Amino acid sequence: MQAYSKEKLENGLLINEAKRLFKMKFISKEQLNGVIYELPKLQSSNIFIRFGFFLLGLFLFSSVAGFLALLFGNLVTTHYEVLIYLYAMIGLVGSEVFAKNLYHGHGLDDAFVLAWQATFCIAIGISFESSTVVYAVLFVIALFSYIRYVNTISALLSCIGLVGFFFTLITDYKIISTIFLPFIGLTLAIFIYAFYKRMHLKSNYFIYDNALQLIKIFSLVLGYASVNYMVVRELSESLMGVVVTKGHDIPLAFLFYGLTFLIPLMYIYFGLQRKDRIFLTIGLLTLGYSFFTIRFYYSLMPLETALVLAGLLLFAISFFSIKKLQNKETGITFKPDRDSNSNLLLNAQALIINSQISTKPVINESKMPFGGGGFSGGGSGESF
Amino acid sequence: MEKQEEYFTERLASKGFVTTEQHNEIKQYRQLGIFSLNSELLFFVYVSVLLFTSGVGIFVYKNIDSIGHLAILSANFVLMLLCFYFSFKKAKGFSKEEVLFDNPMYDYLVLTGSILACIFIGYVQYQFAVFGKDYGLVSLFSAFLCFGVAYYFDNKSVLSIAITALATFIGITITPQTLLQNEVYSNPQLSYYGLALGAVLILIMEYTIREKFKKHFHIVYATFALNLIGICCIAGLLERYWYLFIFIMVLAFYYFYKVSHQILSTFLLVLTLLYGYVGFNIFLGRIIGLLDTPNIIELIIYLLPFYVFGSIYLFIKCIRKFNNEKHAGIQ
Repeated sequence: MQAYSKEKLENGLLINEAKRLFKMKFISKEQLNGVIYELPKLQSSNIFIRFGFFLLGLFLFSSVAGFLALLFGNLVTTHYEVLIYLYAMIGLVGSEVFAKNLYHGHGLDDAFVLAWQATFCIAIGISFESSTVVYAVLFVIALFSYIRYVNTISALLSCIGLVGFFFTLITDYKIISTIFLPFIGLTLAIFIYAFYKRMHLKSNYFIYDNALQLIKIFSLVLGYASVNYMVVRELSESLMGVVVTKGHDIPLAFLFYGLTFLIPLMYIYFGLQRKDRIFLTIGLLTLGYSFFTIRFYYSLMPLETALVLAGLLLFAISFFSIKKLQNKETGITFKPDRDSNSNLLLNAQALIINSQISTKPVINESKMPFGGGGFSGGGSGESF
Repeated sequence: MEKQEEYFTERLASKGFVTTEQHNEIKQYRQLGIFSLNSELLFFVYVSVLLFTSGVGIFVYKNIDSIGHLAILSANFVLMLLCFYFSFKKAKGFSKEEVLFDNPMYDYLVLTGSILACIFIGYVQYQFAVFGKDYGLVSLFSAFLCFGVAYYFDNKSVLSIAITALATFIGITITPQTLLQNEVYSNPQLSYYGLALGAVLILIMEYTIREKFKKHFHIVYATFALNLIGICCIAGLLERYWYLFIFIMVLAFYYFYKVSHQILSTFLLVLTLLYGYVGFNIFLGRIIGLLDTPNIIELIIYLLPFYVFGSIYLFIKCIRKFNNEKHAGIQ
């Protein structure tokens, strides 16, 4: 079923491991070179290059699409969706060609794998005019691409297809009352997480592990989002026509208020207890969003006071945590890990700081705020 | 993740790439179960600084005409002084090399102080017009202050603020959000200023590398210079005197291509190639626009796939060469 030889895919992972060990100063340059040059491997590239080639791949795909549109444009005026099916075929053939030539995680192959799924879904959408069918098809073809091309983003698309399918079944076809939507979401999240749990840690599926991590992230975010108070309230207002007035809240409001905070705290707890960085990060981000949710409906204080207080509180928390963890040698610690990449983080911080503050002078005539910059969202770390 | 890493290390060991002693050493290290919260906690501090200073910025602005403004101003000033006082106390003094605080928290204290100083300067100008009617001078003054702070305390974030302030002085906003929507595109004159500033940044970067004067700052200068020149060249190519910018673009492209090979920065190389490719395509577009042949569009669409295919082939070769060099350069 896989388009790539399993051995070569695994070699890629072995090379990554060797690179990590080299960075942690366990093995020498010669040993790393041995791993890199002796193991037959696939063509892949680092994240920046991959992004560049991804753009080029899309450019190539659309130029071919333009070529065909011009060639067959006159022939298929009545059934133009035939052309889009043709595009999808080309995307699929392109993906196969790249796989044959051992391109994996290179950028070009990603572009074609995603392009064929996108065009196929568009074509299905035109043919059937039903979003439920589109989501169902997306689930199937994304799962296929994920398994065949070991493509990480396809795994995410597949999850989106699955959730979208159930969501539209409930909202469009009303198979059960929309009031159950949050719980269906939560159930799906648990189901997806259980799938991750089953597949993860089986050495047979290690080549899929990058994608499995993404599935895990998706399930955690879905679990939080389906019971987040803001999401539930906005959806009940638009889908069920619930009107929230003073003294009247959405049904089961107390439950959603509770879960909005309980779930992030649970994630953070699990993250620290099991030393799981994904749980921890998602927990922190969702907690930040929870604060934003509350502030969105109840502004207890003006924005600037909230910002200053939040800043001080966050600083106090991190300051004391650092103090506490500073000298620990094992377990949870503040000491950088041997393979940590703090330089990258610091450079990124330096380069994005200017998006947060503004050095423009305030001119008397026009009342322009300064200092405030383009700050997005309250709470913590929206831009993690 | 743990189990997976162990599995791969074992595989490497079984294939003879990792010796038994090394393998034991690795196992021992992993047994410690180190879970470092270093970057998470420092990121928290960073976010808290941003939250706090954004709050202060809005606070000062909202109360700008009220009675309490002097109190706010003094509070801001005192806070800024406190930040710098503690930073000076812990700083190891100026050095041409990279100097780190023993505790990375102080980097963020310096950052807070600098942002508060910028707010303070802006406020003083607003209220008392110390720089007269020339509002640009405020940015220039902030820029000089931040340059000083950045070099003394060895702080890249403050350096980045300084460069942004310098660009603001000449009237250009360079932030990640304004990459596609920039005032340069609507005001051609700005692109000349931008190019001049870009050239200055390149000169400083060259000096930085050659004289080993805070050598690690070069990546900040290079990124800003490349983005500034890239944006200005693209803006220029869309203008009336576009042929002038071809030479500048070619020169800049060649220069940054060399630099990215010299400092082995993939990030810089990809950005250079991206700007270069966009610029080249605009150039081709303008040439085709000059030809003014009927039905040319159709021909272009037929030829486009071959053109893209050819360019991808060249890019792959180019990247492969770079990767080999980079790999040989890792110590």
